[in-house]
Amino acid sequence: MPYREKIAWLSLVGIAVCYGPYFALTYRSPLLDRPLPNLELMTLFAWAAGGNAVWVLMGRLILRMTTAPDDRGPPDERDRAVDRRASTVAYYVLIGCALYVGCFMPFITSGWHIVNAMVASVLIAEFLGGALIVTGYRRGLK
Amino acid sequence: MTRGRIVNQVRTLRFLSGEMSQAELGQAIGVTRQTIAAIEAGKYSPSLEAAFRIAQVFGKPLDEVFRWEAER
Repeated sequence: MPYREKIAWLSLVGIAVCYGPYFALTYRSPLLDRPLPNLELMTLFAWAAGGNAVWVLMGRLILRMTTAPDDRGPPDERDRAVDRRASTVAYYVLIGCALYVGCFMPFITSGWHIVNAMVASVLIAEFLGGALIVTGYRRGLK
Repeated sequence: MTRGRIVNQVRTLRFLSGEMSQAELGQAIGVTRQTIAAIEAGKYSPSLEAAFRIAQVFGKPLDEVFRWEAER
């Protein structure tokens, strides 16, 4: 498995493992309706983000130690092509979600609902980008 | 537009070049071993520059290494 595909898997699992429980706990939670700054949810989010950062750092360190130097060199043209396609799609998804959150949601909701939606937008874009990197390596670019 | 795919003889040419490894070929043209594997499997079509470099490594013209195969 290419080094960069392993990193993409690491990111995908990290998002599911760290942010999955956060959204499961906060989805329709009465805490969402408290006024900002919502310290309870902010603390919960900090745990999720911190956990994700530790996951990614440790995972990258382990991958670096267990992958041969030749296999983790600078990206070549295929790596760049896979990354370019994934980044382009993720970018448009992020822009679409951000427009929805920034331009539409303030009319129907407020507070941590909007914060959560923006965090979810970034994570959806990140997850989609990672998934496209994995499929780019698995199914190929033609 | 005619549909088709690019087929290549990279695996055969590696074999004929004294069983050159994917890593050696990759190093010679500046890509990773996995990219050579993807090219051989038809999962990735290399850039024109990489294609010329591969042909140069084997001392063959480009059309003996890569060929366009139209779908019928």
